[in-house]
Amino acid sequence: MREVDSETMKIVVCVKQVPDSWAEKTLGADNTLDRGSVDAVMNELDEYAVEEALRLQEAHGGEVIVLSMGPSQTTDTIRKALSMGADSGVHVIDDGLHGSDAVATSLALAKAIEGRGADLVIFGSESTDARMSVVPAMVAERLGLPQLTFSSSVSVEGSTVRTNRVTEYGYDVVEASLPALVSVVEKINEPRYPSFKGIMAAKKKKVETVDLAGLGVSADQVGLAGSWSAVEEAAARPPKAKGTIVTDDGAGGTAIADFLSAQKFI
Amino acid sequence: MFEWSDEQVMIRDAVRDFINKEIRPRVEEFEHGDTPPYDVLRKLFATFGMDAMARERFKRQIEFERAVEEAKAKGEPVPEKPTREGGSDPSLTMLPIIELCRVSPGMVTAMGVSMGLTAAAINSRGTIAQKERWVPDLLTLDKVGAWAITEPDSGSDAFGSMKSTARRDGDEYLLNGSKTFITNGPYADTIVFICKLDEGNPPAERKILSFVLDSGMPGLEQSPPLRKMGMHSSPTGQLFLNDVRVGRDRLVGETEDVPSGGREGAKDTFSMERSGVAAMALGIIEECLELSVGYAKDRVQFGQPIGNFQLIQEKLARMEVARLNVENLVFRSIEVAQAGKGLTFAEASAMKLYSARAATEVAMEAVQLFGGNGYMAEYRVEQLARDAKVLQIYAGTDELQIVAIAKDLLRR
Repeated sequence: MREVDSETMKIVVCVKQVPDSWAEKTLGADNTLDRGSVDAVMNELDEYAVEEALRLQEAHGGEVIVLSMGPSQTTDTIRKALSMGADSGVHVIDDGLHGSDAVATSLALAKAIEGRGADLVIFGSESTDARMSVVPAMVAERLGLPQLTFSSSVSVEGSTVRTNRVTEYGYDVVEASLPALVSVVEKINEPRYPSFKGIMAAKKKKVETVDLAGLGVSADQVGLAGSWSAVEEAAARPPKAKGTIVTDDGAGGTAIADFLSAQKFI
Repeated sequence: MFEWSDEQVMIRDAVRDFINKEIRPRVEEFEHGDTPPYDVLRKLFATFGMDAMARERFKRQIEFERAVEEAKAKGEPVPEKPTREGGSDPSLTMLPIIELCRVSPGMVTAMGVSMGLTAAAINSRGTIAQKERWVPDLLTLDKVGAWAITEPDSGSDAFGSMKSTARRDGDEYLLNGSKTFITNGPYADTIVFICKLDEGNPPAERKILSFVLDSGMPGLEQSPPLRKMGMHSSPTGQLFLNDVRVGRDRLVGETEDVPSGGREGAKDTFSMERSGVAAMALGIIEECLELSVGYAKDRVQFGQPIGNFQLIQEKLARMEVARLNVENLVFRSIEVAQAGKGLTFAEASAMKLYSARAATEVAMEAVQLFGGNGYMAEYRVEQLARDAKVLQIYAGTDELQIVAIAKDLLRR
């Protein structure tokens, strides 16, 4: 158990650069995303993670480090988090990481977090491109940290972190001792806009780049070859089929009920 | 400078995001619902820390001016002006102007007159005490400002036909007159009132003085908003002064001995206003061009997108030429300011003349390109065309800009 000292509380917040949710996405020859064809933005849920980290820092002091893994353009996403107020950045970048699945990604991220003395690691609960919601749990497992996922509120007191974990029936109050890993949902806060001053200051903040060798990860543990899962085939979503029009000749209600029942909606 | 820097793009995108969430969905309410623009503008300022930056900059300026005064009083050498930091980059003002003008140019008029014209009129000629009393709240929009020069019978001939007067009355002044087309007039908390000192001398020889008035002073009446062609999100009104009694503390500079009879002070303000108009024009042009390109691709007539027709292509190409030219003028004005220089009065006039005409032409051509839809309010270019027109009229008409440019050329 670790007592958090307000001067030294260290938060690592993990962010991912994703294709703009509204953009038309295409896959390359190796069935990975063609990043060149779409605008890249910070994964929306990660904005909530950054905001929560900054709020905790405002309440308790300490330091916020933003961590991201991805090709060179990922710098833009790291800069955005820095302009919101994070203190420094870590960019995990290596051609060997291309095509990493969730398991491989969690290895690289865990290695990048390891040894930084983080009291709290914060993630958004899922990315808008892969939507698997597993990376936070995998990273927690690799680091041997308690995981408090799907949090709609986070508070730190002494050496304890307490969250409301969103469930189907409401929420559970979950508590763990620090250091710990938290993932947040969008209900948790309203992410701030970067201030003009923050944007100007971001370019002067330190961003450390780390490659696979720096992480102590070998090329066969990550990337397309080192991933446990692979995309064998992908097909475009079929065009929307024509709907069924029910004309109400007095028995419209019955016809709709029959239709819904046939589709197993009711 | 030939493109926005990475930081400037981040600022632009952040402001655009705010405007898309906070203003675009409510544009109908601001344009036609008489909802004053000030609350949302204050939110914009606070969100991006523009209010805090303005306060800090003002504090540094006053500290410097105090140091200069003290040094002068002691007969010591005057301290050097501290070098400007990133915070005074003019693009930080230009980018919000451009982005706001894509959606609601009236907002910029309301904001610019309050923080720009009114604050600058006091900040450039006022005493330190006057600056501290009125300027900080104007810079942050905590107080709404109006700058009152135009009168029913005095527009382009602002000083020649001015009828508003100040008469001495003991240690005080009595102010009289009526002003019209005053941006923010209906809601202004702080008003800079420009008038002539009536000493019984002929009007042409009278000094021009500026006074700072607060809303609610006895004898001061502020009209409700006037109905107008465009810029509906910017409230415009009339002011009526009937024996408004003011002390010397409200006379800008606290002296009647103003350089060039007071005309220079107003001229500085004109210059600033004119370069701001170019940024406004750029916002209108960018939005019209983007909407027009989208429409030319989507709108199908005679079995093909209208963008395939050369007459439509000609419109788009002319819009792009205008966008490039106005953007270059804006870049130039930013670079000139960053180099610590200012535009000359004639340069500012040329920039304003060209940009205002370009914005009106582009917006009207956008309406034409959209055809019947362009004439409908739903399609946005209709509002922008109405809004653009005033750029050729306010802050000095096209005709006056031409005179200013020609005068400067012929004087050389």
